[in-house]
Amino acid sequence: MIRVDDQEVQWFEGMTVTDLLKQIGYEGSCAVVRINETHVSRPTFDQTLVPDGAQVYLIPMIAGG
Amino acid sequence: MLTPLHQQAIASMSYEKPDLVHGYAGQTLKVDLTDRSFEIKPVTREMKDTFTGGKGFDLWLLWNAVTGETAWNDPENAVCISSGPMGGTPIYPGSGKSIVTTISPLTGSVMDSNVGGYFGPYLKFSGFDALEIVGKSAGNTVLYIDGESGNIQLLDMNDLPEESYGLSEALTEHFGGPDRKKISVVSAGPGARHTYFGCLNFSYYDGRRKQTRNKQAGRGGIGTVFEDKGLKGLVVKCTSFSVDTNNPADKDALKTCAKAHTRNIRELDPKQNEMAKGGTTFITMIMNDHDLLPTHNFRYGQHPQAKNLAADVFRRLFDPGFDGCWYGCSVACAHGVKGFVPTTGPYRGQQVFVDGPEYETIAGVGSNLGIFDPYTVLEINFYCDAYGIDTISFGTATAFAMDCYDSKLIGKEQTGGLDLSFGNRWSALTLLHQMAAGEGFGVVLGKGIRKMKEFFSREYGADAALMQDIGMESKGLEFSEYISKESLAQQGGYGLALKGPQHDEAWLIFLDQVHNLMPTFEQKSENLHWFPMIRTWFGLCGLCKLPWNDIVPADNDQTEEPAKVMGHMKLYAEYFSSVTGRQVTPDDLVVMSEKVYNFQRLFNLKMGFGRRTQDRIPYRAMGPATVLEYESRQKRYDQDLRDKYGLDVTGLTTSEKIAALREKREEQYEKLTDAVYARRGWTSDGIPTLATVKRLGIDYPEVVELLAAHGVRE
Ligand code: SF4
Repeated sequence: MIRVDDQEVQWFEGMTVTDLLKQIGYEGSCAVVRINETHVSRPTFDQTLVPDGAQVYLIPMIAGG
Repeated sequence: MLTPLHQQAIASMSYEKPDLVHGYAGQTLKVDLTDRSFEIKPVTREMKDTFTGGKGFDLWLLWNAVTGETAWNDPENAVCISSGPMGGTPIYPGSGKSIVTTISPLTGSVMDSNVGGYFGPYLKFSGFDALEIVGKSAGNTVLYIDGESGNIQLLDMNDLPEESYGLSEALTEHFGGPDRKKISVVSAGPGARHTYFGCLNFSYYDGRRKQTRNKQAGRGGIGTVFEDKGLKGLVVKCTSFSVDTNNPADKDALKTCAKAHTRNIRELDPKQNEMAKGGTTFITMIMNDHDLLPTHNFRYGQHPQAKNLAADVFRRLFDPGFDGCWYGCSVACAHGVKGFVPTTGPYRGQQVFVDGPEYETIAGVGSNLGIFDPYTVLEINFYCDAYGIDTISFGTATAFAMDCYDSKLIGKEQTGGLDLSFGNRWSALTLLHQMAAGEGFGVVLGKGIRKMKEFFSREYGADAALMQDIGMESKGLEFSEYISKESLAQQGGYGLALKGPQHDEAWLIFLDQVHNLMPTFEQKSENLHWFPMIRTWFGLCGLCKLPWNDIVPADNDQTEEPAKVMGHMKLYAEYFSSVTGRQVTPDDLVVMSEKVYNFQRLFNLKMGFGRRTQDRIPYRAMGPATVLEYESRQKRYDQDLRDKYGLDVTGLTTSEKIAALREKREEQYEKLTDAVYARRGWTSDGIPTLATVKRLGIDYPEVVELLAAHGVRE
């Protein structure tokens, strides 16, 4: 099980960020997520595994700088 | 305990400290260093209505101080510092900023820089909405504004430390005694004296760590002007203050909006970018992953070793704790590293505290120089601050020199024997120490990219066209640290910015390139209109821009225009209304900025700039300038030529493809420029029309004359 923002989501072995976003219907609308303390960006969603028990945050928008 | 300092008063004046009314002290202070005089001038109703405060007041004072012929080192050039009507509110996040303006040694025109630390609010609470310093002193001069007793003094203090850290520590102790929290110091340093990109350090006393901390007004050489005036420091002493000190028009309403914004930040920062733990360091890897992190003088946007400079590395190094640069800022992003031991220079082997690094410094003095060692980034960060040097200009100018070295435009004969290969951290540090000492190749580099280009071409016959393409400056100011090649909106954000290519005016790269929120020309130009206006507004009010859109409300995605973060804009309108008593809507904030923004554009025109030709950017900011760059992302560029411009690339050499892409991208930039000028109400040469200045109420006779002199009569 993992948490995405405030919701629990079923985890499976080998789950990538792309899989996760597909599962929760967020595919394509999120450019950056944070897994625990690490930011992960869209270009690496396919290769980044989500560990079991992770807290994932969908970063709404990177607008500052 | 530091050694006691000696001071000799050279001029002094007592003044009656006014009570603040709705965020304004109602007066400004002018100090003339040449004739050692002080003048207190009233803030008029018209000043408030037209210029609001902060940068607006600074610009008005500066406009009246200089002529179109004034050079940065003329005595009449002024260094202006102000807060803003909401500045100093200790309960609303990000309300302690100062804004500084002057005529810049790098650009020859108006420069503004926004900075934390306590000086601006303390100045206002001591009775002055803005401070204007003109003239020159013999050196070693300290201006002391004692807001407690209502006294202003010019002092000769000749045994002060040279470096900024030592200076702010010594002056804080000297004037603060046991009450160091009441003191804020502004100082530069020896690097500011010997370069054109000197910064100013604004201090605040960190009671928890029992030490002075510094924030930097970095851009455009304001520290250089400060040093040229013979100033060692500005010191203000402030009495205790509270939310009542600004005498807000509606304290209950102020508390309500302050609470709402604070709650948003407290709840959402932990779920978003955790700036309270890592500042802006999270940006590094996001930029790297999107091919936007400058490496090797903006050639590329990505590097396998970038992870050495990632947020987790700096978060481990940061001294933990709540680090706001003004009271009540729940973003608390002003982190620092305790117990760092430099390996070079005068502090070698000693433990020091490093204020930072922030993203711009990491990218500027790290990845863009091919340096992926966090400790070198810390050391350069520390010495830039200590010497009074802007980390961004230092990084971008050094990257240019390294690129020239790599491209064999210069060699060891020109660099005084220094190996300027990318990644050579010892050379980067040596250059920095040379700037402080005023010797060696560091002095050449310290004049900035524009001057280096002229010098290398004139003295060494270096290829001027190539340097024009790869020298990352516009208007004379070095670029800040983002790769804008694939974002036309960001190219405009850099090129059309008033003071030069600094992202604080329009940071659209992610909204454009990654979120794809502005696919059409019209949308890009619309964004290049409103984004700078919102950003400008913070500088008018004494506010930090970060709490606006670095943390966004949870439902922001569902709003009509997520990029504007309307949830926060509404709070800001309520904030302004509650302090000043002027009831405003978010749209009114944009109009307030438009007045000042257009006035600054006209100020550029007065200084001989402010036209289309000054809004151009080097080609490397638009696309691949060299074969190496093109071939490193060949698939992307080939596809662009094929799909976007319908060009069959089969059989073309890389050079031919570079030329074809360049033609298209330059054309796009010109079209964007046309669209933005039209949206802003400017002529096709980038000058505000008479109708625009009339609409904004800035049609002063001098402005109308200036327009007429440039053929603008309607
Ligand atoms: S957000 Fe950061 S920089 Fe801005 S006022 Fe707060 S602590 Fe200072």
